[in-house]
Amino acid sequence: MSKILIVDDDEGILEAISLSLEKEGYTAITASKGKEVMEKIKSEKPDLLLLDVLLSGSDGREICQRIKKTEKGKKLPVILISAHPTIEKSSQECGADSFLAKPFDAKDLLLVIEKYLPKETKVSRSVLV
Amino acid sequence: MSKIIDYLNPVARLGKKRSVVVPLVLSFLTYLLSEIFAYYILKNPAQAGAYLVFLSAALVIYLSLRDGIAGGFIATLLTLAYYAYIIYSRDYLGEQFISAIEATVLLGLLYFSISLIIGFLKQKVDGLIERESNEKRRLQSIVQQLPVGVIITDAKGVVVQSNRKMEEILGEKIPLGYAYSKDEALLKSNHSEVTHTNSQPPLMHILNTGKSVLGKEFTVQRNDGKEVFVQISSTAIRNRKGDIFATASIIDDVSEKKETEKRKDDFVNMVSHELKTPLTSMKLYVDLLKNTVNKEDLKSARLIKGLKFQTDRLQKLVIDLLDVSRIQTGKLNFHKEEFLVDALIEETINELQQFAKKIKIIFKTRSGVKIYADRFRIYQVLTNLINNAIKFSPPDSKILVQNQKEGDDLLVSVQDFGAGIAKSQQKKIFERLYQIAEGEQRTFPGFGMGLYISKEIVIRHRGKIWVESEKDVGSTFYFTLPL
Repeated sequence: MSKILIVDDDEGILEAISLSLEKEGYTAITASKGKEVMEKIKSEKPDLLLLDVLLSGSDGREICQRIKKTEKGKKLPVILISAHPTIEKSSQECGADSFLAKPFDAKDLLLVIEKYLPKETKVSRSVLV
Repeated sequence: MSKIIDYLNPVARLGKKRSVVVPLVLSFLTYLLSEIFAYYILKNPAQAGAYLVFLSAALVIYLSLRDGIAGGFIATLLTLAYYAYIIYSRDYLGEQFISAIEATVLLGLLYFSISLIIGFLKQKVDGLIERESNEKRRLQSIVQQLPVGVIITDAKGVVVQSNRKMEEILGEKIPLGYAYSKDEALLKSNHSEVTHTNSQPPLMHILNTGKSVLGKEFTVQRNDGKEVFVQISSTAIRNRKGDIFATASIIDDVSEKKETEKRKDDFVNMVSHELKTPLTSMKLYVDLLKNTVNKEDLKSARLIKGLKFQTDRLQKLVIDLLDVSRIQTGKLNFHKEEFLVDALIEETINELQQFAKKIKIIFKTRSGVKIYADRFRIYQVLTNLINNAIKFSPPDSKILVQNQKEGDDLLVSVQDFGAGIAKSQQKKIFERLYQIAEGEQRTFPGFGMGLYISKEIVIRHRGKIWVESEKDVGSTFYFTLPL
C-alpha cells in the first residue's frame, strides 16, 4: 500500500486529505510542522509527499529543496499545495514534481497523485496486503 | 559702479520707486555746473543761452523719464528759476530783456508739456509693471501653497519656478535656471501601469511633441536614497502665435496611496488565502460524504448536491475577490493557447445546465474557429454571462448562446428572455462592484464582480463587451475576441 506524507499547518486540511486518501486505499501520515518533515521521511519512508508551501515557521519550497538534495529524496515525488496560485512558478524552481492550487476537490487531488503512484501499483499492492 | 549706473538709468528704474530729491539735486547741480562753465570756460556768460536750451530740454526729458511727471516739473521749475537768475544777473535791457522773458515763457511751456507727456507715459509703464508683478506674486503665492509639486520651465527645459511641495517631494531644492535633461531622475520613465506608449520623460515628451502628459506614474530615486512614487501631468504653454514658450508640470506624491493600495491588496490576498484553506477541507469532506451515502437514499443525495453547489459558489466568490484585486494591481496574467471556441462553449453549457434544471441553455450557432486566448479566462467570461442569464431568466425559458465570425473578430453572444436591463444601467453593470439595486431585482446575489472581471478579461484580450437589452423582453450580452 502506497504511503503518502501530508504536511500542512492546518489540522482541518490534514484530516480531510487523510480521509480522502485512505478511502482510496492509500496510507496517510501527517505532519503539521516543517521541521518534522525530514524526520518523518526517514522513519516512515513515504512514497509521495504532499507539501503545503506556507507553513507556519518555514517555507515548503525550502523543505522541498532540501529533500531533493538527498539521495533518497530525489526519487520521492513532491507535490506542493498552496492557496497562492502565483507560487506555481517558484514551485518548479525548488524541484517539486507538481503543484496543486487550493481549493481542490478529491478528483483534482487523486488525479495528480495517480500521475506518480499509478493505479495499477496501488491495486496490486492492496491485493497483496 | 553698475549700481550707480542702474540708479541713473531711467529704463532700469521703470517700475521702481520715483524720487523727488534726485530731480532737485540733479537740476541744481546741472545749472551750477552750467554757471561755472559760462563764467570760467566760455568766459562770456552772455552767450550761455544758445546751448542752454538743449541742456534744459535734455534734463527735463531725462528726469521726467526717470521720475515721472513730478521729476519733469521739478526740472522745469528749476530751469525757469535759473533762466530768471540769468536775466537778472546779466543785466538785459530793453528789447533784449523782453525777448529773453518771452523765450523763457515759451521754453517753460514747452518743458512743462514734455514733462507731462513723457512723465505720463513713464507712470503708465510703471503701473503696468506693478500690475504684472502683483499678478506674478499672486500666482507665485498660489503655486507655493499648492499641495502638489509644481515645476515650470521655459521652452528649453530650464526651471523658472518650482514650489515648496516640490522641494519636499524631491528632498532638495531645484535651483532656478537648472536645465532638465533626458538623464534626470525625475523625468526618467520607470515602468508604469498607466497606458502610455511613449516612455519618454514627460518634459522631453511635451517639448518634443507638444502633447500633454496626463497622470503618468514615475518612480523618483531621491539623492537621500528614498524612493518616491509620483504622478506627473505636464502640459506645454503656448503664446498667442501658438509657439511653446514654457511647460508646466504638476507632480503628485502618490507613495502613501500606493502604500495603502498595497496594504489593501495584501489584505485581500490574505483573506482569500485564509478562506481557501477551510474551503479545501470542505470540498474534500463533501466528496467523502457523497461516497458514504447509499445510492438509494435520494434525499441525502440531494442535500449533498446542494452542499456541493454552495461550496463551489463560495469558491467562485473567493476566486472572484482575488481576481478583482489582481485587476486593480495590474497583476491579472494570461496563459494563452490555441483552442476551439465551440468546444469550450459546449463544455461550459454542459456544466452550467446541471444547475439550471428549469432553463434550457441552447448552443444555437457554431463558428468552428480556433482562437488564441487564455482558455480558463474565456471560460470565466462565458460562465459569468451564462450564470447571469440564468439568474435573470424566468422558469421554463431558454438561453441562446451563439458564436460567429464577424470580420476579423469572433462574436459571442448570450441571450436571455428575462427581466432585461434599463438603459440607464446598461453601462454601469460593467463597473466594479455594481449591482442593480432596483425594486425586486435587489435580491439577486453576487458581489457584482462577475461582469467587471469579464470586461477586464475581454478588454485585455483586445476585445469588446457590451449589452443590448430591453426591459421585460430580455438581454443579449456580446463580446468579441480578435481572431
